[in-house]
Amino acid sequence: MIVTPKIFARLAAIVVVGVLLQLSFFSRVSLFDTSPDILPALVVSLGLLGGAMTGAVAGFAIGLLTASLLAGTLGGASLVLLAVGYLAGLFRERFEIHSALVPPLLCMALTLVAEVGFAAVELTLGVDAPISALVVRDTLLKCIYAFFLGWPIYLAVRRALRPALVEEPQVTRRRRQPTVMGV
Amino acid sequence: MYRKQVRRRRAVLTLLVFSSFLLLTITYGQSSGGLQDGLSTVFSPLQAVADRALKPARDLVGWFDQTFEARGENSRLRDELEQARAQAVAGQAALQENAQLRELVGLDRGPVLAASAYEPVTGRVIGRSPTVWHSAVAIDVGRSDGTQVDDPVIAGEGLVGQVASVQPSSSRVTLITDHASAVSAKVLPGGAQGVVRPEIGNPEDLVLDFIDSARKIGVGQAVVTAGWRAGDIASLFPAGLPIGEVTRASIVEQQASQQVHLRPYADLANLDLVQVLTGGRAR
Repeated sequence: MIVTPKIFARLAAIVVVGVLLQLSFFSRVSLFDTSPDILPALVVSLGLLGGAMTGAVAGFAIGLLTASLLAGTLGGASLVLLAVGYLAGLFRERFEIHSALVPPLLCMALTLVAEVGFAAVELTLGVDAPISALVVRDTLLKCIYAFFLGWPIYLAVRRALRPALVEEPQVTRRRRQPTVMGV
Repeated sequence: MYRKQVRRRRAVLTLLVFSSFLLLTITYGQSSGGLQDGLSTVFSPLQAVADRALKPARDLVGWFDQTFEARGENSRLRDELEQARAQAVAGQAALQENAQLRELVGLDRGPVLAASAYEPVTGRVIGRSPTVWHSAVAIDVGRSDGTQVDDPVIAGEGLVGQVASVQPSSSRVTLITDHASAVSAKVLPGGAQGVVRPEIGNPEDLVLDFIDSARKIGVGQAVVTAGWRAGDIASLFPAGLPIGEVTRASIVEQQASQQVHLRPYADLANLDLVQVLTGGRAR
């Protein structure tokens, strides 16, 4: 991805809109007692489209902004989301995305990584309260929501960053002409 | 060229990881101060606009969720209604007796009404933390409305939490379901005292710890803030604020205390309007 000042502004806008949407909408709706977390999916989409560095920097920024506005200790969310963005970017640099299922599946898998990472950071810092087994259910449901929300998020981010993306030529298979016997 | 790119990439990555650890170390256990103030001042108007704009969409999702839940809740609510009827009758008698006793001892302010020494400021929730590890909400009232750090926050039904940080036009409220929260409380009737702590991941369940195992605690009993005072030191919460209702009590083996589980009165998962009890320091 070629990051011009205009594309940088778009990336910043995506980060801000994503965080606002998460805090004002997704965190405040609950389906089956669990709120979707779109931030890992957003970071994955940015990593898949922009590469490892874009993913890591976007993850760091999203984590920092979210923690500053609400979610507690600074640095924890940044560390986890920067790792998620970097991993998504590495995937993009090493493998081709052949199937439309790859972004949602990667969103789901890396949301799991993010949730485990958030838990690990908090447990390392020290948690005094007892932990309910429902945390596991919450994590799994968040991963399922990430699968379903991953594709629209990926499409929206791709649309927003289209001018900066290096388009890969579409490989179209030519239909073979029918051969006439004896010609 | 390629090596230079790799080196630059490593440098940026190292810088980001180092910054994350540095931020963790510096801000652990305290507010991030200037950075948080600045970002909240810039973003709270945007959050307020986003909150208003997205309310219809939130309501729509909420409607679907509630429709699923309503089926299971119907029978439970019928049982609760029957219990509530019985309690209401008993409550009427207790109220009458209470009024007579107040007149007798010359008290014009009961423990619950102690909260009226505070100035309630109503605020709207404009944001909520995305993770179960931190239970916090952002509200649209701040320093300019008289809000201060540690002010208690209530909703219509009961205690919600306390103000953790204040910006000019917004505040961050740590909910009683946050792992850092601990509220001294007592069970009514009986007055057994303990500390209410959350169970991470389950906003419908709070744990009242350090209750003497000899005290008999029954399902359905109310738990309110204890509101203690010892010399110049006082609880952050006024006495008598309702917290929740006992759902089960179990004696922990080989321990002199029992663990009491309660369901919070306030619907902490769907907070929309809250009240900050300001002016507590001036009392």
